[in-house]
Formats: sequence, structure tokens, C-alpha cells
Amino acid sequence: MSNVILSKVNKIYGAGRTGVHAVRDLDLTVNDGEFMALLGPSGCGKTSTLRMIVGLEAITSGDIHFGGVRVNDLEPRERNVAMAFETYALYPNFTVEENLAFPLEVRGVPADERRRRARELAELLRITEILTARPPVLSGGQQQRVSLGRALIREPAVFILDEVMSHLDAHLKFQMLFDLKRLHQELRRTMIYVTHDQVEALALADRVAVMSNAALQQVGDRNALYNRPTNMFVADFIGEPPTTFIAVERCDRAGAIELRAIGADIVFDVAAERASALDAHGGRRFTVGIRPQNLYPCDHDPRMAGKVVINEYLGERSILSIVTGDVTLRALVPPETRLAPGDHAGFSLDPRDVMIFDTESGVLVA
Amino acid sequence: MRQAIVRGDPSTYPDWFDGKRRQRPLIVSRWVPIAMVGLPVAVLLAIVIYPTVWMFYHSLRDTNITGLFTGNHAYIGFANYATVLGSERFQDSLIHLLQYLSFGAVLQVILGTVLALILYEVVRSNLWRTVILILVVLPMMLPPSIVGVLWRFLLTPSNGAVNQALLDLGLISAHIEWFNAGISLWSIIIADVWNWTALPFLIVYSGRVSLPPAVYEAARVDGAGQWKVVRRITLPMLKEVIAIAFILRFTDAFKFVDLVYVMTSGGPAQSSELPTYIAFQRGIREFAIGEAAAYAIIIFAISAVIVTLFLQYMKRVMRAQGLA
Ligand SMILES: Nc1ncnc2c1ncn2[C@@H]1O[C@H](COP(=O)(O)OP(=O)(O)O)[C@@H](O)[C@H]1O
Ligand SMILES: [Mg+2]
Repeated sequence: MSNVILSKVNKIYGAGRTGVHAVRDLDLTVNDGEFMALLGPSGCGKTSTLRMIVGLEAITSGDIHFGGVRVNDLEPRERNVAMAFETYALYPNFTVEENLAFPLEVRGVPADERRRRARELAELLRITEILTARPPVLSGGQQQRVSLGRALIREPAVFILDEVMSHLDAHLKFQMLFDLKRLHQELRRTMIYVTHDQVEALALADRVAVMSNAALQQVGDRNALYNRPTNMFVADFIGEPPTTFIAVERCDRAGAIELRAIGADIVFDVAAERASALDAHGGRRFTVGIRPQNLYPCDHDPRMAGKVVINEYLGERSILSIVTGDVTLRALVPPETRLAPGDHAGFSLDPRDVMIFDTESGVLVA
Repeated sequence: MRQAIVRGDPSTYPDWFDGKRRQRPLIVSRWVPIAMVGLPVAVLLAIVIYPTVWMFYHSLRDTNITGLFTGNHAYIGFANYATVLGSERFQDSLIHLLQYLSFGAVLQVILGTVLALILYEVVRSNLWRTVILILVVLPMMLPPSIVGVLWRFLLTPSNGAVNQALLDLGLISAHIEWFNAGISLWSIIIADVWNWTALPFLIVYSGRVSLPPAVYEAARVDGAGQWKVVRRITLPMLKEVIAIAFILRFTDAFKFVDLVYVMTSGGPAQSSELPTYIAFQRGIREFAIGEAAAYAIIIFAISAVIVTLFLQYMKRVMRAQGLA
């Protein structure tokens, strides 16, 4: 068992002007036994980071330590990691059972013990009926589970799982998330789980590291990412439906600070404890972010009002799109809200739910 | 959902269909398709079917060279086959063929496979890979007749380069008589291995290059050593490719005449004769057309059986892997 520490890790593919800077100055600590999710849009450098941790990709600069040992120059097997690949990478000439058991076979585990463990895992992953099949005839979701199983069959210091549920249907994914979480609680091993799906990341992980554009944006638990995103990228990426951003201008009135939307008749109050942060920043123009969950329908003296353009009914909730002036807001409302396009709607909100960002850098101000 | 397409009603056309383009009927004489199919069929008839039928016909008759031109030959049933199968010369040549297959063809495939895997696993620089590839493939570009002459020189007992080298290295103390009975067939095999190892080498090398790299990364992470990877992953994945190399070398063995002809003429005392060489000798040299035809048909039958077995095996392998 061990923790994983990345310090100032860079990955540049190729060289010179055609080089791709896939990972930039990444500092990340994954604690011993922690379930860490690496979350970010496609192409942001997640797989590259994993491949460096596993030892399949040379580290351009920086260091990776496992439990205090620098592993930069160690072969994957010396690092004692198990990995499930985004592309499955199953052995096409093996049956599913042989695929699952291969890491044990390599370690000289006797055949009947291998068989027992493979069957156990197949049951967990719900692939018992395909144990004798070979990968080329399997569906994407089946191959993905075999690949996950091959990573889970031994108990390495660190588990590395790259997009292991991307090809599962929603129902199965839900069960597998649950099983994986339970497995982690049993094993208490360090796991690094890569995904571009925030639902998976937030459901599974103790902490989530959000990446974008080759760089780490924020590391934190669900609460931190949701309520205190460090920048507009995180605020936008985490949460569904996405945050609405509104350009605002600061107006000081009788000791209190107000932020007035540019191009719409919306006024945000700024609580006194946050005024100092705005003062420290010194600017007059900001971008305000509001999560659709934090707008409450209210007919009496609303903070903002507008015309409904779309009412998307999603089962247990509805998403309203409301236009007021130049601004389009989204609000998450109970499904029984009977508002049709063209109707007038008013909303209230808690000033503490308003996120204020620097417009230029996107960094959270208050 | 499938939708009925009504001719001439553009609203029913699927969206990939470019409605503006009218389908114009392709107007050609009806002889064109007949000619296009007929020509290849005619060629096939002329160079494959006709000679085969012709040969089978004469294998049942007592045709010799004069009989062939005067039309003076008679049906003798399977007497030619009986002669061939009963002759010690043919039985010996079958043993020679077996020796050639199991030491020549098999060795070529094994050697080619080993060389190809070593080249791929050990040599990392692309430049060196290319250089070695070209060097290994060079012998294959020489016609067998030249290879035969070359190796007759190299193996000349008294002053040939091979004996000289072995003497200098102290591996032998007296000249090896490369063209004596019992050894001459080995000389042919050596020359043939030198000539043809490059073919299985090329086939297996290109097969190895096209194996998915991700599988090898998985094996690295799973902790498999290099030998384990070769034995459990690479070789099984190259099974079909290696089988194809075998088929090519085996079928070649059945039409293998040139090296025998150039190096030993089947001698001394018929000790290095292969069936095809006897067929050639009996038919072209000694004008026993009927008997030569029987030889050819027998060789054809043996090779057909072997290739069929191979193809069956391939089919089984491919089905097991879900490829067929
Ligand atoms: N072997 C490679 N050679 C060159 N560029 C690469 C290679 N692998 C990944 N990249 C590039 O690095 C960037 C990050 O890729 P990747 O780590 O796969 O992202 P993610 O897993 O987050 O989708 C992408 O722009 C990708 O094109
Ligand atoms: Mg990826």
C-alpha cells in the first residue's frame, strides 16, 4: 500500500514546435488508501497522467513518488500497479477467464486458485456467462468489464482505472459504481479513477482532481468543487445543468455593495463578509455564476424575472430557460411547475449562493 | 425503422441519396460482360484445367514420346500408378521429400520466425531494422538456379569456402564430402534454407509489426516477462501467420526441382531425388509421358491432402478466435 505523489510533472509528446504539451506542472497527492478521481474533458491529459504513473510513458520532467520511493525510472511491474485501459487492451487469443487470470498466472499462482479468483470476479462484474468466450466476439461493455476485472484481480499498491465505465449502459453503470465503491471500502487500496463523467467521479471518489487543458484546476471533495470552485472552468464543468454566467458591474450604495447585471435588470446583493474580497480585488467588473439549483421560483417580490423560453421536463425535475434582457438563465424546478414558453416567471435566490469571478482570469473572487 | 422507397418520389428517398443524380442505364453490348468473364475463364481453362485433364488422361495410357506425336497409345488402367507406387525409386524419393520437408521447410519457418521476433524485440532503431531486413531478404531475390551454382562452389569439398572455414575454425579435421550419397540431400537443404528463410521471416515480421501495441502494454503492467510474453501472447497471436508461411513453403516443396537439378541432378545414385525431380526426369528426359503424368497426379494428390489439412487447421484456429 502506498500514497502517490506527483510533483511538477510535465509530459510533452514530440519535440520542438510540433510537440504536444499534454500535462503541465502537475502537483497532486493521492493519500494511501484514497479513492481519487481524475476528472476533465476529453483530451485534457488524464490518460497521459495515468500512463506516467503506471510507467508506460516517460516523464518529461518532474517526479513521481510511491510511498516515498521515486519511481520515475521503474518498470510498471516494479511499481506494483494494476491498470484497466481505456482501450481495454485484452489478450485476443485468451478466453475471458484466461484474460482475468493472467496477472495471477504471471505471478505463479496455481491454476485452481486462479480459476477460483477469476470466477469470483466474474460474478462481481456480471460476466460469468462469457468466461469461455474470446474478446473479439464480445461487446464493448463486456470487454470493458473484463479489462476492469483483470485490473482488480490482484491487490497491487495502486489501482489505476482509465474510463472503465464509459461503455456501460446507465443501469449497469449504477450497479458497477456501487460495487466498485464497496470493493474499495473492503480493500482500502489507493485507487486513481479517470473519467470525463462528473457523476461517476462525484459518486465514487473521496476527492476529485479536476483537469483542463493539461493543467490541474482544483482538488477537493464534492462540497468544495460544488460550492467553492476555484475558477469558472470548475464552476462550469461541475454541476448539471451547467452554471449560468452573467457579466456584472459593481455599484456601491449607502455602504452596501450591489452587482448589477450588464444588459439585464438583475441586481445581486453582496453579503458584508464577502465585500472585503471585492475591495481587495479592486476591480469594477466581474462575472457572476449561479447554479440552476439555487434559483427558487417565487411569485412575490422576486429578485429576478423573465420570460420562459423552454421548459425541459426530465422526470424528477424540469429545467427552465428564462430570458431577461440579454441574459439567458437556467433554473432547476420541481416537475410540477406548470410554466409554458411565453409565461412570466420570477425567482429568488440566496446571496451566499452567488459565485463571483474575475472576468479576465476566471478565478473565484468571492 | 425502414421506409419504403417509391421510385420517382423524391420525398421517400433516404437522406444519403442524392436526388438530383439520375440513374442512367449503362449501355453496353451484351457481349461485354460475357467477354469480361469469359476471357479469364478461357485462360484458366487453357493453362490449368486443360493440362491437368490432359495429364490425367495420359497417366492412364502407355504414352511415350513417339506415341504422343503419332497418337499411338493405349489405355492401360492404373498400371502407371502401380509402377510408380511400386518402384523403390519413388518410395526413396518420398523419404527424401519427408526429410526435405521436416528439415528444410520446417527449419526455414522456425528460423524465419526466430529471426523476425529477435529483429523486432531486440533491435529498436528503425534504421538498423531496415538494414537487417534488407540483408536477410537478399538471398530470396536470387533465382534458385544461381543459388544452386553458388552453393556448389561454396560446398566444393576440396577447396570450397565452407569446408575451408570449418577447417580454419577447427570444427572439422577432414573435408566433408558434401556431394556424396547421404550428404548431398543435406547440401540441397542447406542451400534451400539459405535461399528461402527470408520468406517466412518477412511474413512473420510483418505479422508481428501489425500486432496491437496496447496488448503489450497490458502485459507489461500485468508483470509478464519477455519470454512469457513471447510464448503466451506473441506466438499464439501469430499462429495463423506462421501457418501461412508453412503452407507457402510446403507447397513449394512439391514443385522443388531447380536446386536438385543444378546441385546434384538427384545424385549420386538417385540419393537426393525428390518426386518432382523424378517426374521431370522420366517425362522430359526419358520421354515416359504416361509414367511422368502418374507421378504428377500423385504429387498433386499428396500436396492437396496436406494443404487441405492445413486449411482445416486454420479454419479451426480462426473460429476459436471468433474471426470466422
Ligand atoms: N502518444 C501521443 N503522441 C502525441 N500526442 C499525444 C499522445 N498521446 C496523447 N497525446 C495528446 O495529448 C493530449 C492529452 O491526451 P490524453 O492524455 O489522452 O487525454 P485524455 O485522456 O484526458 O482524453 C491530447 O491532445 C492528445 O492528442
Ligand atoms: Mg483518456
